[in-house]
Amino acid sequence: MINAMSADEIVAEILNGNRAILARAMTIIESTHPKHYKLAGEIIDKVMPLVGKARRIGITGVPGAGKSTLLEVLGMYLINSGLKVAIIAIDPSSSISGGSILADKTRMTTLLREYNAFIRPVPSGGHLGGTSRRTRELTFLLDAAGFDVVFIETVGVGQSEIEVANVVDFFCLVQIAGAGDELQGIKKGVMEVADLIIVNKCDGDNKAMAEIARSMFKNALQIVKPKYSQWQAQALTCSARDNAGIKNIWDVVDRFYATMEPNGVVASIRKSQNIRWMKQQIEENVINMIYSTQDIKELYSKAKARVESNQLSPRNAVETVSQYIVEKLTYDVLK
Amino acid sequence: MDEKLDQWKELANSEVKRMGKTVDDLVSKTLEGIDIKALYTSEDIKNLETIDSLPGISPFVRGPKATMYTARPWTIRQYAGFSTAKESNAFYRKNLAAGQKGLSVAFDLATHRGYDSDNPRVEGDVGKAGVAVDSVEDMKVLFDQIPLDQMSVSMTMNGAVIPVLAFYIVAAEEQGVAQALLTGTIQNDILKEYLCRNTYIYPPTPSMRIISDIIEYCSNNMPRYNTISISGYHMGEAGANCVQQVAFTIADGIEYIKAAIKAGLKIDDFAPRLSFFFGIGMNLFMNVAMLRAARFLWSDAVEQFGGNEQSKALRTHSQTSGWSLTEQDPYNNIIRTTIEALSATLGGTQSLHTNAFDEALGLPTEFSARIARNTQIILQEESEICNTVDPLAGSYYVEALTDTIVQEARKIMAQIDTAGGMARAIELGIPKHMIEEAAAETQSLIDQGKRVIVGVNKYKLQKEEAVNVMEIDNQAVREEQIANLQQIKLARNSADVKETLAKIRVVAKEGGNLLAAAIDAARVRATLGEISDAMETVFGRYLVPSECVTGVISREYHNSEKGACEFDEVKQLVDDYANNEGRRPRILIAKMGQDGHDRGAKVIASAYSDFGFDVDLSPMFSTPEEIAKLAVENDVHFVGASSLAAGHKTLVPELIKQLQAFGRGDIKVIVGGVIPPQDYDYLLERGVAKIYGPGTQMIKCVREAMELLNQE
Repeated sequence: MINAMSADEIVAEILNGNRAILARAMTIIESTHPKHYKLAGEIIDKVMPLVGKARRIGITGVPGAGKSTLLEVLGMYLINSGLKVAIIAIDPSSSISGGSILADKTRMTTLLREYNAFIRPVPSGGHLGGTSRRTRELTFLLDAAGFDVVFIETVGVGQSEIEVANVVDFFCLVQIAGAGDELQGIKKGVMEVADLIIVNKCDGDNKAMAEIARSMFKNALQIVKPKYSQWQAQALTCSARDNAGIKNIWDVVDRFYATMEPNGVVASIRKSQNIRWMKQQIEENVINMIYSTQDIKELYSKAKARVESNQLSPRNAVETVSQYIVEKLTYDVLK
Repeated sequence: MDEKLDQWKELANSEVKRMGKTVDDLVSKTLEGIDIKALYTSEDIKNLETIDSLPGISPFVRGPKATMYTARPWTIRQYAGFSTAKESNAFYRKNLAAGQKGLSVAFDLATHRGYDSDNPRVEGDVGKAGVAVDSVEDMKVLFDQIPLDQMSVSMTMNGAVIPVLAFYIVAAEEQGVAQALLTGTIQNDILKEYLCRNTYIYPPTPSMRIISDIIEYCSNNMPRYNTISISGYHMGEAGANCVQQVAFTIADGIEYIKAAIKAGLKIDDFAPRLSFFFGIGMNLFMNVAMLRAARFLWSDAVEQFGGNEQSKALRTHSQTSGWSLTEQDPYNNIIRTTIEALSATLGGTQSLHTNAFDEALGLPTEFSARIARNTQIILQEESEICNTVDPLAGSYYVEALTDTIVQEARKIMAQIDTAGGMARAIELGIPKHMIEEAAAETQSLIDQGKRVIVGVNKYKLQKEEAVNVMEIDNQAVREEQIANLQQIKLARNSADVKETLAKIRVVAKEGGNLLAAAIDAARVRATLGEISDAMETVFGRYLVPSECVTGVISREYHNSEKGACEFDEVKQLVDDYANNEGRRPRILIAKMGQDGHDRGAKVIASAYSDFGFDVDLSPMFSTPEEIAKLAVENDVHFVGASSLAAGHKTLVPELIKQLQAFGRGDIKVIVGGVIPPQDYDYLLERGVAKIYGPGTQMIKCVREAMELLNQE
């Protein structure tokens, strides 16, 4: 049905609150097939002027940290405060079968019944860069569709969470208390991009440990180079299970926006993310284009074979191939 | 002996030489991973710790009673219940007149999950897979003219144990029967609910407290009543092999002992009232050995807690496997059930349920129930197997197998112990993962014909003959229950109800005995839903998140060249689609209504994912509307609805209607599970794309899904 619709019609339906069309449009955006690129591009062009209202929040953490359960209670808290909430949950795909099991929603059973909630599990499909491109644009659609908060949930096991930090305004890291080795377990880059660290499962016998972990994180955050001069990253505890400490989390988010929105920082974050993305995308496209050009492809594989058989030094190979590319590009441009 | 054995080996080798085999090739592997040799001898039972005991004396390998069936045969206890209390009562009385000895009540899923029949979440479930009980009034009707001081009643209830047991006690009271005279069993085994059966209500901690409260109340007031039936049956149905079934069940039992001791009870005050429940599958000798091994392990475990002989004796109910029944050529199920019944009784069960042959198609009829009952009567009264105790004792094979199961189960139990006990292991998902892997493996073997199931993957019928199954008019039952509820609510004193419910909340929060408080509420006609809700306000309602194994099915197929070829061919269809469409085919595997049987859903989810689909899992107990919303938001191509509790005729058409309301009538609905053949047309006419009964090859489901997609 959607294939027969124009971008204008699709966008009109999305603005109208048509859940089915919104979901179908998300699929078009997610598509890896070039035949969908044109329509996807048109849809994004049409919604861009309408985008900007929604808060974009990233949530990451190791498996078992309780991200989904936290999103369930935090999401319900927001809905009960009158907000509309969308969640993009990025799940890893199997590297063997390419398929995936998307079971996140089974931890968000109250939230998913809510009409003011829209939850979309997105299989990562195995390629990182692609995930972040699609996630950005999915966020735009949900923003235009009238959701007040868009969460992007990732499993913190790879590089993808750092990628996601470049798509959101505010980035939360969900942790659980360990045996005092929390800081060693955390990947270095993640601390630098976190705006808030939440120590979940602060309940029952675990309370004291969780509080200790929180203060360790708090101290560590103070010595990390701050991401913004106007915002000191925070550390909190909560218990998603017992629905405790949830309001505190949102109060911090509110404070972030109260600080960063009037002075234009949020807008400039988003602008620089746009520019950064554009630059990345150009680079990626150019590289893809160059390597898919027939004569360059041939030259490259010849050079590769000669390097492999020690007939050519890698240094000379770089020189030869690069020079050819530069000359070819100059020639094409002059022509 | 060695010399003779060598001679045998030589002979054996020469016999199989023509087939290009040696005697070593005759070793077969069971589902438990145990190697079975072609021959067992006295060498195999030398120095076994499980051998040479006597019945009635610990470690009870040969049976919990000294005389076993020679004095009194096992109790023929058929599990039944459907529709209203009145209908079930009539059915019970007819069966008792025809030779059944004990009652076993099946409640409907709404009752299991603590909902009154008028709750909108249970529209498809009322009266379907059991009898609907909303209040004491229903319970009184259920046992009308059945004297509860004489009849031992077993009740399969785990979630709503508090109100159901309270109703039973008050119904007896109003028959004039004192609590101390009540005999029977309540299943009350919550741990395995989180593991596989899924009819829990509250989180694990308050649920364990409920069990302690029941044990405490009964040991003070109902000394002849079995307070828990520790059940491995459902694990077997979920896919556990015999070793896993024994290990997890005994580990559950140990956890209950710990909880009761923690609550201040003495081992010998409650352990004699713990009973067991095992599921008996098709491997005749393995299942005999399983029951013998279970008795040994329990005796061993209870001894660690200082229990006396009575506490150490494992008494068990058994049921033939429902999973082993096939929809195809269903009369074969009579034979399967007979073999399993023989296995259970040679294993020394104390009571037995034999399945009706049509249970893979729907609910049993009076005819199929009669055959199931007579299977046991014939074993008892014609086969002469009751004339001696433990007739397989001393069999080299069975004794060796008994010992192997003990040793293998101990390994698993040690793993559970390391994890911190069964409750913790369940929380960590350890046993669930093991069972689901076993289920996926078994299904792959059946798919490829490496495990034979007659009528399914071998000797298939050209044309299946129609078999009548019982039909419940679920709407009518629900309306009748709702009318009764309204009447009860009008007639009762609402101030009393309020007060007793408030008391339950206080007891839940601050301590005291929940069963005692619920009995007071039951007397003044508080309903099951009200009593459950009162506890829910304090405890919360729980849901186990669904997870799913991956990679097992793909691995099993790649064990043989032929399997790999078949697999890769279908996988290619999926990959081609992904390349052409820029996305993978996507399916939502949905569980609707209160049906908690999720083995099939998990296995098929795992299969689709291994073949390259993106698979969404729904939370259990969803409504059709919730599933439609999920399907729409995830923009799936298919919804695969799994139904094993007879709710399909209400729930599936409602799902299709809800999808249409979202403007997504194009999402294809596939139904799998126990669907009576006469319902196929009803569902197809209402827009269902495909229906798959038990025994369908997984690869076929995937292939046909791709065909449906490519038709567009």
